[in-house]
Amino acid sequence: MKIVVCVKQVPASSDAQIDPVTKRIVREGTRAVLNPFDTYALEEGVRLARQLGGQVIALSMGPPKAEACLREAISLGVDQAILLSDRAFGGSDTYATSYALARAIDTIGGVGLVICGKQAVDGDTAQVGPGIAAHLGWAQATYVMKVERADKDGLRLRRMNEEGWDVVEVGFPCVLTVLKDINQPRVPTLRGVLSAMEEQIPVWTPADIGADTGKLGLDGSPTRVVRTAPPPPRQTASKRLAGSPAQVAGELVADLRTRGIL
Amino acid sequence: MRIKPEEKNSWRHVWALAEVLGGQVQPVTHELLGIARELADTRGQQVWAVLLGAGTAGQAEELIAWGADRVLLVDEPQLRGFQDELEAGLLTRLIGKYQPDILLGAATARGRALMPRVAVLCETGLTADCTGLAIDPDSGDLLQTRPAFGGNILATIFSASHRPQLATVRPRVMRAREREEGRTGQVIREGLAAGDSPAMKRVLEVFQDRESVVNLGHAQIIVSGGRGVKSARGFDLLRALADKVGAAVGASRAAIDSGWISYAHQIGQTGQTVQSKVYIACGISGQIQHLVGMQSSDTIIAIDKDPDTPMMRLADIAIVGDLFEVIPEIIKEIDRV
Amino acid sequence: MQSMTNMRDHIISRRYQVELGPPRQDAPDLRAALDQFAQRYRRVLDSGYVAGITDNSMGLLAFQGTETIIELGLPVNPGQVMIHLNTFHTLENLHQILEDCLRLGIRQLLIISGDGSDRLPRLQPEEVGATQVAAVTAVELLAYIHRVYPGRFELGAAFNPYEPREHELDKLARKLQAGASFLITQPLLSKNAVVDEVLRRYPDLPVFVEAWMSRRISLLSEAVGYEIKDDPSFDPILTLKQLHRDYPDCGIYLSLLGFKTQYDLLGDTWVTRHTEG
Repeated sequence: MKIVVCVKQVPASSDAQIDPVTKRIVREGTRAVLNPFDTYALEEGVRLARQLGGQVIALSMGPPKAEACLREAISLGVDQAILLSDRAFGGSDTYATSYALARAIDTIGGVGLVICGKQAVDGDTAQVGPGIAAHLGWAQATYVMKVERADKDGLRLRRMNEEGWDVVEVGFPCVLTVLKDINQPRVPTLRGVLSAMEEQIPVWTPADIGADTGKLGLDGSPTRVVRTAPPPPRQTASKRLAGSPAQVAGELVADLRTRGIL
Repeated sequence: MRIKPEEKNSWRHVWALAEVLGGQVQPVTHELLGIARELADTRGQQVWAVLLGAGTAGQAEELIAWGADRVLLVDEPQLRGFQDELEAGLLTRLIGKYQPDILLGAATARGRALMPRVAVLCETGLTADCTGLAIDPDSGDLLQTRPAFGGNILATIFSASHRPQLATVRPRVMRAREREEGRTGQVIREGLAAGDSPAMKRVLEVFQDRESVVNLGHAQIIVSGGRGVKSARGFDLLRALADKVGAAVGASRAAIDSGWISYAHQIGQTGQTVQSKVYIACGISGQIQHLVGMQSSDTIIAIDKDPDTPMMRLADIAIVGDLFEVIPEIIKEIDRV
Repeated sequence: MQSMTNMRDHIISRRYQVELGPPRQDAPDLRAALDQFAQRYRRVLDSGYVAGITDNSMGLLAFQGTETIIELGLPVNPGQVMIHLNTFHTLENLHQILEDCLRLGIRQLLIISGDGSDRLPRLQPEEVGATQVAAVTAVELLAYIHRVYPGRFELGAAFNPYEPREHELDKLARKLQAGASFLITQPLLSKNAVVDEVLRRYPDLPVFVEAWMSRRISLLSEAVGYEIKDDPSFDPILTLKQLHRDYPDCGIYLSLLGFKTQYDLLGDTWVTRHTEG
């Protein structure tokens, strides 16, 4: 059984800058990094492949330079990496992106498990994982915080929710999205990084994955961004409370109730 | 699905998907009904609540009091536990049958799993974590505003050529309306059909354990402590306040380095970045490394003996006082009212 | 076992400690970064100085000093390499580093709590036999290495005079109790009363004050906990000389040293009462 881990290259959040005039994100000069959540997906993929047998393949869609995040995936232990890169993919929203990734997974063939990070830190949508599952018609388990058991028949998982977690069993094929709680990813060794630099990474186009180009890119995306704007400025009317503890506590709680917080 | 402009009018009404956890409708549902009501009223349309669950029929009427005109109820034993695939298939069929213009869901663990699956099955768009929703007066399309790039920018998104329009909203972002006793509406019962996709998972057990879930990124309220908390026992007081207001507990690096609380709670440049609705900083001076991890929170409250720390200057509400005296009073005050 | 170079000897023999960071994991050109590290490392050793090699400084992922030395086949002269070691490791990885140090002949370790990040694991209290604490800090790591490798390493601790005085002095006492036998301070720009107090309390302890060799003193803001504005008149070399005068019995640890512009000036900077008298 093959395991595919989907990864994305994102702008390094620490570099994010807003142009003071246009109020748009300045992308030039910002470093691109592997989406931090995907590191956990890669680690889990490598661990499960070691346990269940089989190959782990890292899959990404993006511009040619996104191959850097695939090299990182190799240094983290995956066996192979594939990049979907073509102008036709550009401008895809989560619907079109999950369609393209699903087509690639189908093309790879023999895949029993797809693992994604919880979400990408640039978009924060968490939609691509379930989207892939829906396109493929596979089962899905999201917000996975622990793999309790893995064998040839399937997985027993802990899914986090707002009040705790549930335990579910799911067979293959399926798609998981995983939380940071799931493991502690390894840090690549210098030796591993140097050898990943030598790997050849195949680049696939829409034709390679048999994709309907009408479902890709801007034209294939149901959603459009109409405008971006800076968030409203932080209100500076700050308030100072001093007095006896009981008095300030009373004022605070009253204030929070007025604001609809309590 | 993709539609032609003239087909827009055959998609009508605003649906709000009830958030059910542990068999109980969650308060975020009332917030979804609140914004759904606003959107529907601008166009003279109805609000429909969609309630999927096992043994939840008794909670349907209540949704009318919170603003629903219709409640689409599916109460089936197979819907016990959270079965994404089954619920997504069912919702897709109901959407095809009734053709709603808009479907709103909660941006919770469940909503963020279910809604993207529904979006793909319906071949339509979805916008996650909206902080603003409005109807464009010209086109009638739903304008969906959401923060991007860690809250540095707000993007407004729409979907002109696909219906229904799907969006999720985080808890405590939208305001619920006042509950209206005796408000009338209609409950429409639906069931699972032979053609619906079967459950693809087995839900074995459900655990409730708030303590184990240190999910600062999603926490709406965070009570956070720094050097001023003085000891591991000092954090017990912060936990007591957190329990009282449904908050997660965070900490500055100074508190972690002193060994008072585990690294999982660290907020700041070398810890987690949070954007809570309320951030209560207790005895945190506000070093740069900490501020970058929390300063985009909506309301910042600081409690410190020293009135002149960076955190006290940043705070929306700065309380000058000993946190060991003030916090017990806050807890008392919340209990009292 | 060969006798260790005592850290006191570095002070008597006026050997600078020069901080070196191994290449970062996200280095845009890794090969170039490795070359630069190798050149600087050799230069420091050839000068008779000590290379102090950082461990994921600021929580930013970098390669380990030991693996870099091994991969590049760099020489290790006894006493001339000091490795920083922080609490953000798995136990397995920690032992790997310590075993590599022993194999390479590296005996000096600076034990610090360090900066974490989501990507770095942290030693768990039960792994290092620390049952009384919620998190492992430098104190517990010192005690652990001291216990598991008795007498094999010379262990140092960091001292931050910008923390509240009693809190930091108390932490220092615990670090010494746990096995630290030398001290490196946070960067000083001038004589510091808390460091003076340390020297009064522990007259026999080898202390190295850190000299900030970058002109950009604003970068120090985070370390000292208040904002420092850049000052065009700030001269790192003059400040270094003044630190020697102020602390004639201390060694000096140089951070952010300019290898192009400053390194060749170092021969004349270690002014002592003797040379000035």
